[in-house]
Amino acid sequence: MADRPSILARTWTTPVILIVILGVLQLAALAVGSGPFNQTIIEIFIRVVLVVGLFVFIGNSGVISFGHIGFTCLGAYMTAWLTMLPAIKKSKLKGLPDIILDNKLAYGWGLLAAVIFAGLAAYAAGKVLMRLSGIAASIATFAVLAVIIQVYSNWDSVTGAQSSVVGIPIVRVVWPYFLCAIAVVLVAYAHQISRSGLALRAARDEATAASASGVNIPRERLIAFTISGGIMGLGGALFAHSVGVVTPDTFYLGLTFITLSMLVVGGMNSLSGAVLGVVILSIIIQLLRWMEKGVDIGGASFALPLGVQEIAIGVVMIVILMYRPSGLTKNRELVWPSNKLSGWGKPKAPADGKTV
Amino acid sequence: MAQSLSASDVSVSFEGLRALSNVTLDVPRGKVTGLIGPNGAGKTTLVNVLTGFQKPTGGTVSLDGESIVGVPPYKVRQKGIARTFQSGRLFADLSVLDNLEVTGVGLGLSRHEAAKKADRMLEWIGIPHLAERAAGGLPYTDERRVAIGRALMLEPKYLLLDEPAAGMSAEEANDLAQLIRRIIAEVRCGLLLIEHNIGLVLTICDHIHVLDSGEVIEVGPPALIKASERVRHAYMGTQAETEGAVL
Ligand SMILES: Nc1ncnc2c1ncn2[C@@H]1O[C@H](COP(=O)(O)OP(=O)(O)OP(=O)(O)O)[C@@H](O)[C@H]1O
Ligand SMILES: [Mg+2]
Repeated sequence: MADRPSILARTWTTPVILIVILGVLQLAALAVGSGPFNQTIIEIFIRVVLVVGLFVFIGNSGVISFGHIGFTCLGAYMTAWLTMLPAIKKSKLKGLPDIILDNKLAYGWGLLAAVIFAGLAAYAAGKVLMRLSGIAASIATFAVLAVIIQVYSNWDSVTGAQSSVVGIPIVRVVWPYFLCAIAVVLVAYAHQISRSGLALRAARDEATAASASGVNIPRERLIAFTISGGIMGLGGALFAHSVGVVTPDTFYLGLTFITLSMLVVGGMNSLSGAVLGVVILSIIIQLLRWMEKGVDIGGASFALPLGVQEIAIGVVMIVILMYRPSGLTKNRELVWPSNKLSGWGKPKAPADGKTV
Repeated sequence: MAQSLSASDVSVSFEGLRALSNVTLDVPRGKVTGLIGPNGAGKTTLVNVLTGFQKPTGGTVSLDGESIVGVPPYKVRQKGIARTFQSGRLFADLSVLDNLEVTGVGLGLSRHEAAKKADRMLEWIGIPHLAERAAGGLPYTDERRVAIGRALMLEPKYLLLDEPAAGMSAEEANDLAQLIRRIIAEVRCGLLLIEHNIGLVLTICDHIHVLDSGEVIEVGPPALIKASERVRHAYMGTQAETEGAVL
């Protein structure tokens, strides 16, 4: 048999296609240029960061985590602490260390600190959690979320407790969010094709056989958990800079639910699924929002009653999952030149007829 | 100390049920050791003990003289003890090549090196054409070969095969016998063969242990096992129709 091309040579088209999809959104923002439209695109990029972050752990390990939005919270507050004006911090968040109170960093440093802080927190939590598996692990991750939100909701002098932290510098241009989304897609891809990613997917399929193949499962899970925690922290920081306000409530069940839904609808075992789930559900959500506000069709104005958006998105998800139980991508990766979803994430079953 | 994987005086109890009682067994390098016994005799449990999946309630397991009791399964594999499973347990969502690659990365290779070794291994066991197929849904005999290939990656010191011929035709079992002979000749590992196909065991093993209700009831070369009244007795009733004829 001839020398097989490397894993990179066989799979590089996937991240490129995904980046092109994100690029189209960025171009749309440039073309339209209106504030609200930009904000919509920014929201999508932030969700891409969050959902890809979830994918790195959940998709590769097969362990559902309900706790990742906790790391998003950590990232959001970290950048708030570092980038707000000292005057505001001194009046509202007196409990912060002096060095933070007296200084103000550029938001880029805020993002970096958010990644590191959330990544370290995920590492520490993961050290304990990764020994568990199955439903026990999932419930334990939920406990992590609850603990983080409780601490941040009550630590008045440092987080302002339940009141909003306002005055975070707002970044209104789209490209920093675009770049972060690209970076996150590339990191997730690199992890996916790494030794650790392969070992983790093997453990997802057959944990016993993976151990018998020399795979140290808790270790591989911890690596993914840490990377995904860092990415979730970045998403939180981006969120903070996109709206300028954070409260602990923002990072609780609602966001956990919507991000997990996007992952599942897209196809939770593939990176393409993570990105497409966000893009497609976000577009649907946006259309519904516009319809709630009212659209003019031929002089008549139609508006959906409020609340329809949530119901409709739920219905759409159920319909998609009924027809595609493993998500829109069927857990496969987008590849070029094949024009259909195919993939290295999930090779063709022999029953498909043609041998690949 | 001799180069062997050995269990001495191993006992395992599952909430009162004694699955293994004071079992002593030796798997020397370069030889095929057979392990037979009726269903529920404790064969798989012994393999689980030898590979770190099951902690013995008594006794010790040693690898070339060093105790490996309490060593987790992944480390046992890293020390050179490989196994297959009665039920296949391939990584269904991964390609056949990736299934083998996993062992490579599990043992510390880069993906590139692991893929090269996996390709060579597929060639060696005669299924290079399956490399890019999904492991889930392979025909039975191919699945068995992939499982053996996955275990053989990086030439383990010991290979434990749990009923590799189950469900195979006589011809397929013959191919398997040839593969086992090649493994011994070229990889030179110690091989433990668990099988209900007594014919295969008698022709290929150097030494055979017979387990019944968790106890070793006979040990010896094929000729002795074939002639043993006790072995014949143990198999009576449970498998008299099928294996009785072969014995
Ligand atoms: N994890 C477990 N918990 C409780 N009992 C167990 C467990 N594993 C095995 N046993 C019991 O231990 C005994 C030995 O089982 P084992 O699987 O080792 O038999 P075996 O010789 O491999 O049989 P077979 O030929 O059917 O594969 C059986 O009675 C089985 O029910
Ligand atoms: Mg068994």
